[in-house]
Amino acid sequence: MRHIQTIQTRDLCESAKKGGCGECQTSCQSACKTSCGIANQQCEKKQSEKK
Amino acid sequence: MIHQFSLGGYNIVLDVCSGAVHVVDPLAYDMIALYEDTPRDALIAQMREKYRDDPELEPNDFDECYDDITRLKDAGRLFSPDTFEPMAGTLKAKTAGVVKALCMHIAHTCNLNCSYCFASQGKYHGERAVMSYEVGRQALDFLVANSGTRHNLEVDFFGGEPLMNFQVVKDLVAYARSIEGETGKHFRFTLTTNGMLIDDDVIDFANRECSNVVLSLDGRKEVHDRFRVDFAGNGSWEKIVPKFQKLVKAREGKNYYMRGTFTHANPDFLEDIKVMLDLGFTELSMEPVVAAAGDPSALTEEDFPVVCQQYEALAMLMLERSRAGKPFTFYHYMLDLTGGPCIYKRISGCGSGTEYMAVTPWGDLYPCHQFVGEEKFRLGDIWHGVENKPVQDDFAACNVYARAECRDCWARLYCSGGCAANAYHATGSVRGVYEYGCRLFRKRMECAIMLAVAKQLGDDK
Repeated sequence: MRHIQTIQTRDLCESAKKGGCGECQTSCQSACKTSCGIANQQCEKKQSEKK
Repeated sequence: MIHQFSLGGYNIVLDVCSGAVHVVDPLAYDMIALYEDTPRDALIAQMREKYRDDPELEPNDFDECYDDITRLKDAGRLFSPDTFEPMAGTLKAKTAGVVKALCMHIAHTCNLNCSYCFASQGKYHGERAVMSYEVGRQALDFLVANSGTRHNLEVDFFGGEPLMNFQVVKDLVAYARSIEGETGKHFRFTLTTNGMLIDDDVIDFANRECSNVVLSLDGRKEVHDRFRVDFAGNGSWEKIVPKFQKLVKAREGKNYYMRGTFTHANPDFLEDIKVMLDLGFTELSMEPVVAAAGDPSALTEEDFPVVCQQYEALAMLMLERSRAGKPFTFYHYMLDLTGGPCIYKRISGCGSGTEYMAVTPWGDLYPCHQFVGEEKFRLGDIWHGVENKPVQDDFAACNVYARAECRDCWARLYCSGGCAANAYHATGSVRGVYEYGCRLFRKRMECAIMLAVAKQLGDDK
């Protein structure tokens, strides 16, 4: 496509089929402790696949 | 739903529900904005008129661009509908009763007297106290007993200042390690400290046992020492910086966060980040202060554009430093577009009061560290478990669809509905919305997405 470049992302709709193991880190158990963000967290399954 | 924004020289279109991110030229940017509400011929005619003097565009570009948008829509990468609501309770229902993380309030006391502390100088509006080994051990047993099939268990040593009760921290870690084999669990420990008591023993321990350490530093000496003072009023910057440097060096610069707080006194917090960088720290986090409206440290409406400008400048500094071979990490910009959380995690809420709880020095359970001291939110204790079911049910029902305001927010799958404590303190309800925090969060996410785009396109090299 000449006008649109699509960046590689995880397809959230697809993740509905295989996700939900619940092993990922609890949202606030990291650096912030005063706000909620989940976007910067890792998927444990994807991490294990990388190893 | 889509969200469009221009930042860092990129025109970015986010397809909210699929998570797809597109970088587009001005023609596609304008066409996508009008695509859903304008018939094809009218839209193409409108674009031909707008771009009639653009020498880069050929006559067939307009049809081609329109067809590309249609193809992406058909492929579920643009204008994808939100079909996730029925799944919102799935993860919590599947893991109901499972606790996987504890914030251990190992010391409700502190050796600093920071006036902006949400924990009221570590006391959480109560008495000073430290957790005994027996209470801590019972808390770990409670966690193991309630963790179901979950393998990784997270324990954060928090306060107040946890190093004021360091021997108990060490003893609890030794106990936890001793039961990992028989229970089949793996503990991940984190430590949040103001640094005053860091010594070689703490450094050895933290580097051996803690998967992460969070170190409190606000940046510039004068900014840090304005709030982070001892009980005699002396600033702590001079004391803690060398200790932090030693700890981070021993940790080989990994698995830590230098965490600052910015307030109304320093909305220009990028200057503080630059000081952290100059001190040799590269894993950084800077949080807006949590303070009641009217508190002198609370961020104001006038601060808002300044803070947004700082977030943008921070993103550009990260790109610049990355290109110069001196990259650094900002916690809120760590956006992994290909490996981030699945949709269940994104819609389930933060987990406070269900999979995550705070334990006081007396063994009481609260939904999270920010609710400790709010008696009506006490859930139960580590001997009898959760007894206050109505409050827990309220937290269990917190998800991305629990707040009407979130339904129209493009960033909802990045915050999972926001922080219940912030919502409560801003509105009196855990189902409320802390609007100021939401606006800052959306700005951070735009910056984070832009950086992720730049990285994938190789523009960070």
